[in-house]
Amino acid sequence: MVRLAKLRFLPDRFPLSCQWEITCRCNLHCVMCYTDCCNRPDLIRQELNSGEIIRILDEMADAGTLELCLTGGEPLSRPDFFSIYEYAVQRGFLVTVFTNATLITDVEADRFAALPPHGIEISLHGSTSDTFERITQHHGSYHRCLRAIRLLLDRHLPVVLKATALSLNQHEILSIKQYADSLDSVPFKLGQELRPELDGGAGPFQYALSEEELSELNRKDPRLSEEACQRSRAELPLCRSGMQRFHIDAYGRLQLCSGNRRQGYDLRNGSFREGFFETLPTFACEHKNPEHSALLQLMTHHE
Amino acid sequence: MNLTAVYMKNPEYIQRDVAGECILVPIRRNLTESNSIYVLNETGAALWQRIDGTRSLRTITDEFAQEYDVTTEQLYHDFQTLLVDLLSIHAIDEVTLADGPTG
Repeated sequence: MVRLAKLRFLPDRFPLSCQWEITCRCNLHCVMCYTDCCNRPDLIRQELNSGEIIRILDEMADAGTLELCLTGGEPLSRPDFFSIYEYAVQRGFLVTVFTNATLITDVEADRFAALPPHGIEISLHGSTSDTFERITQHHGSYHRCLRAIRLLLDRHLPVVLKATALSLNQHEILSIKQYADSLDSVPFKLGQELRPELDGGAGPFQYALSEEELSELNRKDPRLSEEACQRSRAELPLCRSGMQRFHIDAYGRLQLCSGNRRQGYDLRNGSFREGFFETLPTFACEHKNPEHSALLQLMTHHE
Repeated sequence: MNLTAVYMKNPEYIQRDVAGECILVPIRRNLTESNSIYVLNETGAALWQRIDGTRSLRTITDEFAQEYDVTTEQLYHDFQTLLVDLLSIHAIDEVTLADGPTG
């Protein structure tokens, strides 16, 4: 028997890893969010229900999917979140949850502790309530987020903190990172790319940092600097979305990745195996062709 | 190795078949093992399938010897290693039988 962090032998095309946007609903309205345009009652009513999600999870498990990322929106804003989460963990998926954490109290932290996730990644967009809540547009969210982080760490859960670099929080990125560093074994991830809204809106980009501002930010911290340096040096691989990883949106559409939703296979009306093995390979992705892989596009496109 | 011993699976380990590999996923993992999965080799997977809380190690070994072209000694050796590994991560427990083992 071998203990591993990842599998050694996989076919080139295998449905190993799923990112599932189980809802676009969210209790916050972050200014740079690309899903908040779908955080409307009429669209939320069209999202997959619990039974549909469980059925698709079963089909994915039978096909061999191992890694499952539940994201949103805010996944915990679904009333049935823990039914879905606990089912997935008990089915043997390695479940990672992307959350703003503001809906996590002792009750939710205890439920996570009872069936621990593979990872729980929390968006911490500021080191002060003023900055944090200017981004989330929700009074009280900063202290709820910090409290949740403490509740999860008290239960020895595998927390990761992350932030997106914006014009609104660039002055606090290093102090967010310092806060993460001050906690025991809590990694920090900095996102430096923004996406258009799902309805095509360009709202998030008004908060984007210029390349010069990003460079200046990265220069201020040795690790950020090293990561930026690696990104600039690295020979970017061809996009492999749809090969060993795939995306499902809140309405059950199987897609190549979160950044490419132009085509989708309707899992409500078809099987996961058919969708992954027969339909997904036919979906277009200009980033799979080296002749068209513009550097910036590719970096934005990759999950 | 006690051939009369009977083992049962810990229900907190879920077996997954992923791309032809037999994987054990601990569902109540702690922080230090949160990034780990356990992969069984072919013999390990076959042993895991047969552990049911009722059959003794001798019974399982005899079944194996009839099914595969392998000596009993080799099986004992392989099983010994696997059992130590599975016990070390608490994926199996030895069953205490009130009326004594059946094998």
